[in-house]
Amino acid sequence: MAEQKFVVGNFYDEAVLFPAVKKVRKAGYKIHDVFTPFPIHGLDKAMGLRDTSLHTAGFIYGITGTTTAVTFITWALTTDWPLNFGGKPFFSLPAWIPITFELTVLFAAVGMVLTFCYLCQLAPFVKKDHFNPRSTDDTFVMAFECTEKTNEAEAIAFLQSLGAQDVKVEVRETRWWLGRYDKDTRPFGEQKELEAV
Amino acid sequence: MAIREHFEIPKRFNTWSFALMGLGLISIVLLYITHGSSKDPHESARFWASLLQNSVYFLLVVNAAMFFICATTLAWGGWQMSFRRVSEAVSAAVPVMGVIGVVILLAIVFSDNHTIYHWADTEHVQHDEILNHKKGFLNKGFFTAWTLLTVVLWSVLGWKMRNLSRQSDGKQMSVEEGKKYMWKNTVWSALYLVVFALTVMSTIPWLWLMSIDAHWYSTMYSWYTFASTFVAGVALITLFVVYLKNNGYLEYTNEEHLHDLGKFMFAFSIFWTYLWFSQYMLIWYANIPEETKYFEPRVQGPYKGIFFLNIIINFIAPLLILMKRDSKRNYTTITFMAVLIIFGHWLDFFQMVHPAVSTDHVPMMLYDLGIALGFVGLIMFLTAKALTKAPLVPKNHPFFKESVIHHT
Amino acid sequence: MALLRYESQVRAPLVDGTKDYHQVTEDICGPVEASPSRLWWIGFIISVGLLIFGIISVTMEVTYGVGQWNLNKTVGWGWDITNFVWWVGIGHAGTLISAILLLFRQGWRTGVNRAAEAMTIFAVMCAGQFPIWHMGRVWDAFFVLPYPNTRGPLWVNFNSPLLWDVFAISTYFTVSLLFWYSGLLPDLATLRDRAKLKWRKMFYGVASFGWTGSTKHWQRHEALSLVLAGLSTPLVLSVHTIVSFDFATSVVPGWHTTIFPPYFVAGAIFSGFAMVQTLLVVTRKVLKLEEYITIEHIDVMNKVIVLTGSIVGIAYLTELFIAWYGANGYEWYAFKENRVNINSPLGWSYYIMMGCNVLSPQIFWFRKMRRSITVTFFMSILVNIGMWFERFVIIVTSVYRDYLPSAWSTYYRPTIWEVGFFMGTFGLFFTCYFLFSKYFPVIAVAEIKHILKRSGESYKEKMDTLEQEDPEQFGQEHSHDHGA
Repeated sequence: MAEQKFVVGNFYDEAVLFPAVKKVRKAGYKIHDVFTPFPIHGLDKAMGLRDTSLHTAGFIYGITGTTTAVTFITWALTTDWPLNFGGKPFFSLPAWIPITFELTVLFAAVGMVLTFCYLCQLAPFVKKDHFNPRSTDDTFVMAFECTEKTNEAEAIAFLQSLGAQDVKVEVRETRWWLGRYDKDTRPFGEQKELEAV
Repeated sequence: MAIREHFEIPKRFNTWSFALMGLGLISIVLLYITHGSSKDPHESARFWASLLQNSVYFLLVVNAAMFFICATTLAWGGWQMSFRRVSEAVSAAVPVMGVIGVVILLAIVFSDNHTIYHWADTEHVQHDEILNHKKGFLNKGFFTAWTLLTVVLWSVLGWKMRNLSRQSDGKQMSVEEGKKYMWKNTVWSALYLVVFALTVMSTIPWLWLMSIDAHWYSTMYSWYTFASTFVAGVALITLFVVYLKNNGYLEYTNEEHLHDLGKFMFAFSIFWTYLWFSQYMLIWYANIPEETKYFEPRVQGPYKGIFFLNIIINFIAPLLILMKRDSKRNYTTITFMAVLIIFGHWLDFFQMVHPAVSTDHVPMMLYDLGIALGFVGLIMFLTAKALTKAPLVPKNHPFFKESVIHHT
Repeated sequence: MALLRYESQVRAPLVDGTKDYHQVTEDICGPVEASPSRLWWIGFIISVGLLIFGIISVTMEVTYGVGQWNLNKTVGWGWDITNFVWWVGIGHAGTLISAILLLFRQGWRTGVNRAAEAMTIFAVMCAGQFPIWHMGRVWDAFFVLPYPNTRGPLWVNFNSPLLWDVFAISTYFTVSLLFWYSGLLPDLATLRDRAKLKWRKMFYGVASFGWTGSTKHWQRHEALSLVLAGLSTPLVLSVHTIVSFDFATSVVPGWHTTIFPPYFVAGAIFSGFAMVQTLLVVTRKVLKLEEYITIEHIDVMNKVIVLTGSIVGIAYLTELFIAWYGANGYEWYAFKENRVNINSPLGWSYYIMMGCNVLSPQIFWFRKMRRSITVTFFMSILVNIGMWFERFVIIVTSVYRDYLPSAWSTYYRPTIWEVGFFMGTFGLFFTCYFLFSKYFPVIAVAEIKHILKRSGESYKEKMDTLEQEDPEQFGQEHSHDHGA
């Protein structure tokens, strides 16, 4: 299997991490990922990640739920087997609003969570590598990819100069779980992205 | 840039507010000539119903601004500080609007024309078993006393809250002073909310509005009315914020705050719909004649169009338009939506008041719109005046800085 | 700007003491990794005991039929539907705290949301038992689902509020579970990465779905949480609304009233918060989490209790007033004679409800009371008793004396198996909660870290310069107006 080299540095303070991200990208390195123990607002922008469109997916799932509920109930109670319930018309829309609403929410929520898991490739028994187990505790771990041209010693020194500690070169097999965001990441300086920093 | 603390009313603004007030007056006069002066009690009641609808609606809307202040104060919200003076200024219209409302309401109650308030007709009540039963609540004495007391309490407590806010204008507070200050604010807001619960959330809509359909009743009615006016109140605040922003004031209010106001409009539009649906569906489902009677002219009668328009404007439109993040951060969209919502709930009030008076046809709405614009002009005038009286930004409020860095 | 951590020092800190990120992890994950204390074992065994009692009660009911319960001709819904509504109500606080308070940006929710959400899920599980076992022929329970069947296919009655319940409760359970679990993933990953024992590594490894903390994942996670919160907010309102529709769509005096939906929701939040208080007051003590679930948190939740209690009070009075105002003899009779009349057979229950739900929470107007642990604990129990009686009043007093006075003599009193069933759900609830508090972090670790540098005590102390800075200067330095 192909192998990929990464330069991995640890940060302990967001205030150090943010300018470092900026400078690493400016220097032309491609950040593989930054692993953080909690969400840091603006870091995605600083890394040049595009916004997620998970919301839109949720909206579409929701609409699907609404349509499913309304069409199915309409069909069942007006065409397939019309029944008179308490003298109400067969097409009693007000009485169907509750179920329609519930199905909208159900479809949207389940759909979004499944999409989320799919996009992030999360599932039971999945094992991934995030370079430093402390990154779920108190360490912000930045990893960037090395190409043939990368001078590793230089890269390490550069990262150290930005405030990273225990900078190492690590080798990982490029397997599916490594996750790459090439399509998600914009090159540095393309937009006014860095206003968040 | 230094804070522009003092609002000067632009000439154009004044022209507009006076023009609108003039339009309102003309509409009132016209409506009086065409209907109000008529000998036919139904015709003249149509005039009074219009005044009733407009004055009560706009009074409750401006009062909702104070509710907004008190609710956010109790929740220790910080984000709204950068435009808090705007909400205060809107609520400063309460006393004047209150006086107008009281005059109109009492004029209707004490007039000889009982088309609007059947229960005020003592002779009729004697023969009407149901109204006779309700005499303990629906009578002129209680109506007058409670209406007056309510308006006085809203005005006084609102004045107290605004006064407290002005107290922060001196010099910067230390943390200890800040805590004390917040404590005082919290206590007065809580008091206001108690009064609010006993008036807007219960008795006042029963007395002023539900008693127009004197035989009919719904426990939801007051909460429903509250939701209606609250969302319109937030929309009104938003409009003033946008106006001031466009004129270069409110430096520290930006899209983030607008976004949150938009969220409020979105959320409470849905909340309104929820209450609307609960009330309607339960009455539709149980199908008890005494209750469905209310919806008969509205759903099946001449008011059918307004009934459905009401849902489209107040539910479908905010739901679809305000759902997107970008539309809540866009000055144009948000202005459009705020105007639409204020109009939508005005329409809602229209169909709350008029069907009981003009049962067989929808009255010509142009007069009512004219009167509504008159009230809008009056609110513009009063709010702008209140804005000039205090610095535009409560910059020494303990939470002001949080509002500056507010991020959604 | 994203890095500017400031909040007014007027606000009390949400995390006490000097903490850094690692310390937070240690404090919250520590109890999970320690072996259970003796107190935990005692509580757990009692819970399992109750659960067994419940299982026996249900077995009796299934074997001999619903006749094992004392339901009679007019009281077709007795204890079990009361319990159902009560548990569903309790199951509202978690989603309220995690969703609505997230949208309202109430920072204090981070300390309590995880436990509250877990509690929600367990409460809904308990609630679900009642309608299921009440069916009698429980093996036919799947008849409630609209599946193509050989009976026509005859579909379920989509117009029936009871079917709405099926959809509402199952949706609510599913969505709450997803919301809770998606929030748990990062914290489970923390536990996985800390684990030393092999089985722990395995267990948390599987449970954390391979979470890494990648920035892209966080970005999606944040979006997911926000949308789920947005969905859960109307959902949580809808669930109790639909439960209230069970009653309000009918034409039974005392049940048919339009204010039921929001009033039930307010009551649900009220009782849910009371249950959260009951659990957290104990949990924070036992797991030594006083620095994360501070007196401040308890104070705020007590404010919510007095607020919702008063809203419920307004609703009670509205209902009572309109019962009179509506001039409908039957409606007014249900209120006047079956509830307000203290000498009527069940009149006392109305006063328990009023006393516990409306009057007693009013002591929380006083700061001293709100901040007293003993008072809080006592009050939270009282509120839950009151809220149980609210449902009892609504359900039983509305039907036990119906239009036929000949049916009036059948005074409803539960049998041991009805009581046992209720006790059994307590067993289920606490068994789940004990397991949860042992194997899962009871506080959202990542969320606490997220607010730590803004709301942590030691960090707030360092904000003096920002606090004292002239507001205008502060504005110029930190405002981020993007231009109108």
